[in-house]
Amino acid sequence: MMILKRLTLLFSAVAMVATLGSVTVQAKYPEKPVTLIIPLGAGGSHDMNARVFTSVIPEFLGNAMIVKLMPGASGQKGTARAIKSRPDGYTLLFTHNFIDQLQRHVEKLPYDTLKELRTVWKFNDADPIIYTRGDRPWKNMKDMMAYGKKNPGKLIFTNSGKWGAGFTAGAVILAAAGVKAKFIPYKGGGPARRALLAGDGDFTVGRPSHIKGNLRAGKIKVLGLAGLKRLKAFPEIPTFAEQGYPSTGMTMDRIIQAPAKTPQDRIDTLRTAFTKLYKAKTFKKLMKKIGENTKFMDGDEYDKNVRPKQSKAYKTLVKKLTSK
Amino acid sequence: MLWDSFIEGIYLAFRWDTFGFMSLGLMLGMFVGALPGFTTVMAMALVLPLSFFMHPLVGIPFLIGVYKGGIYGGSIPAILISVPGTGAAIATTFDGPKLTQKGHGRKALEMALFASVIGDASSDIFTIFMIVPISMIALLIGPPELAAIIVLALVIVAAASTGSMIKGMVMATFGLMLSMVGQDPLEFMSRFTFGSLQLKSGIPLLPMMIGLFAIPEIMAAIERSMEVGVKAPPKDAHAGERLRFWEFKRCLRTIARSTLLGTFIGTVPGVGQPVAAFAGYAAAKNASDHPETFGQGDLEGVAAAEAANNAVNGPTLVPLLTLGIPGDKVTAILLGAFVAHGLRPGPMLIVDNGPTVFAILIAMVMANFLFIGLAYISIPLFARIVTLKRFYLIPIIIVLAFSGSYVSRSDPFDLQVLCIAGVFGYAARKLEFDVAPLVMAFILGQILEYSIGQTTNMASGNVFVYLFTERLSAGVIFALVPVLVGVMWYRTIKRRKRGEKLKSKVIGEDFA
Repeated sequence: MMILKRLTLLFSAVAMVATLGSVTVQAKYPEKPVTLIIPLGAGGSHDMNARVFTSVIPEFLGNAMIVKLMPGASGQKGTARAIKSRPDGYTLLFTHNFIDQLQRHVEKLPYDTLKELRTVWKFNDADPIIYTRGDRPWKNMKDMMAYGKKNPGKLIFTNSGKWGAGFTAGAVILAAAGVKAKFIPYKGGGPARRALLAGDGDFTVGRPSHIKGNLRAGKIKVLGLAGLKRLKAFPEIPTFAEQGYPSTGMTMDRIIQAPAKTPQDRIDTLRTAFTKLYKAKTFKKLMKKIGENTKFMDGDEYDKNVRPKQSKAYKTLVKKLTSK
Repeated sequence: MLWDSFIEGIYLAFRWDTFGFMSLGLMLGMFVGALPGFTTVMAMALVLPLSFFMHPLVGIPFLIGVYKGGIYGGSIPAILISVPGTGAAIATTFDGPKLTQKGHGRKALEMALFASVIGDASSDIFTIFMIVPISMIALLIGPPELAAIIVLALVIVAAASTGSMIKGMVMATFGLMLSMVGQDPLEFMSRFTFGSLQLKSGIPLLPMMIGLFAIPEIMAAIERSMEVGVKAPPKDAHAGERLRFWEFKRCLRTIARSTLLGTFIGTVPGVGQPVAAFAGYAAAKNASDHPETFGQGDLEGVAAAEAANNAVNGPTLVPLLTLGIPGDKVTAILLGAFVAHGLRPGPMLIVDNGPTVFAILIAMVMANFLFIGLAYISIPLFARIVTLKRFYLIPIIIVLAFSGSYVSRSDPFDLQVLCIAGVFGYAARKLEFDVAPLVMAFILGQILEYSIGQTTNMASGNVFVYLFTERLSAGVIFALVPVLVGVMWYRTIKRRKRGEKLKSKVIGEDFA
């Protein structure tokens, strides 16, 4: 299938050269498939979300969108490649806020995402929840933090890898509560959940759709969620805000970005296509099937209101966590 | 009650569309797996949205078909052109290509097929009946235990190697060093990167593997043609001899041993197929009364590796089904498929959806038998590649090696890795160093480093006390390591005294 897509790419490239020779009228963007770089690995949630929307979007964009997975160096490899690509609207980056806004405070990067990338579209987001084992005595976040405060270094936070999506939510709350905990990283959310179930940890960060089975069996207990509203699926579980904890920056925003110098009219074309996509029934149905929401936001709004604010919050968070 | 669900599952599983789409998935997986660089995971992610539109009992078996077909497919280029399509197929390149050179490519492919299917089917059946105990094992093995098991595996790899042990150790050490290039997996500190962003993500396994195994093979082929001149292909331009029944029977013991080993390794979360294949190969060579033919093109070597890596498949599904935990990328995709169909993997899955789950498991077993037929028909098609004239074949292999290295990440850096690894592999071959311990140590090193790091964190730095107070089982395994080294050492010396002749001319020979 990949080969087929490459072939179409080749053919369209040939076709483009042919049309350029005969017609001088400005061609309509996109006249060849658009490449969507994912700086993360195969089979992850970005991959799945992308497979879903790229299968529907050609109808609205007028051309295909090709997923190109470029994992490596915690997402820096794909990000660097997207930034270096020609700003012609044919290369986009499908990333998330932790790569985009948090990493820059952790280490020196060869690029500046805030300056060199602009957001085309915030695709959707994933609100984390924090849960503990069913046999722990805590009923909510406050109980657990009180225990942590009394027993510094005792509370074990199994997470899906430092500075990642399954890390930040826990780190933000621990920092806000002033609790010293033991951080044990695992290779992804699945192994972190295994560790919790095996009794190697006290709490972890996860997604509501992944834990329903264990929740019903009483193996785990949810302590709170990051969203602004309580979830329909768990009406009895309070949000972090209700419990007096911050929840900014915990959500993983999946965002589609382009090199900053990409022409405005091409960005507009892409946005129009996305607007239509979000009205399509197939798209909505598929997103529901993979258990993801469709909370989108226009890229300009995201760049203006969300990005700088989150980046600032992450700066303080990283400072707090790295100074010991 | 469980039994009723099982019986109902049998009824549910036998639908024509389940079998039809499973066949489609198997073929698709086999072809994608046969293309170097295209991984099974990529194929599964690509067809995942398709499966959403199908009935759960069609869509999930379809994906499982892609998975199973892909694992076997990886062995096709490994056997025919010495390009391992996936990590699982590395051990297959020890004997497969040698068989192909002797004109037994088809035999080797068929041996791989039967070994794979037997390994897979038995582990699937075992999984169905032992689903509860396996899920308990998955919870017993945390980072300290995993670290202990990996150390044990490394020792077995090093100690079981006959021939030049020192050379094997040198390569294994080098492999461990290479595995540490890049960001450290826990804190993301850069190591040995020399400020290069490319090296920050570490050395990519796939291009390195293809470089180490395929490039020296290509060079050797070119050298051979220079010696004998360009020859016409073997007089009879058909696909080669079929596997004889006695040849298959001879390998049954090996297949059984590898299946057991692979199934066991599958129950340990986080180890995986490459390690199982190596372990199966090493065990077969160790137990054989003719270890010198291993690495020279022995059907038993192919059978050992292929049965072991496929036997991993069944048990890896258990943590997903019973605990709702995906252990690797393949099971992560399957989790997506389960969720999309309203099935919630976890402790309640069998209670809530027993018949459906058993139907899926039964379909999984049936997929193996279906696959025998499908693959048996298509093997001659693949085997025909060796009938190509050498001056067509070698360029094709070179193209496949390069494209296979490139497609997984579309990164030109991977081509550089391929070339450097190729030159290194060629030099190693000339100097009679075996590259297999290097790759093995490279794969194991990454798991080992991560689990040791986790253990140190869990122990708050005081590892020794932690192991022997809170993690006694891991501590015991660690304590066993020196004993095992002693036993292995003693056996090797004794064997050598018996005057076993060992030629170490050929790659793969040193490694056991």
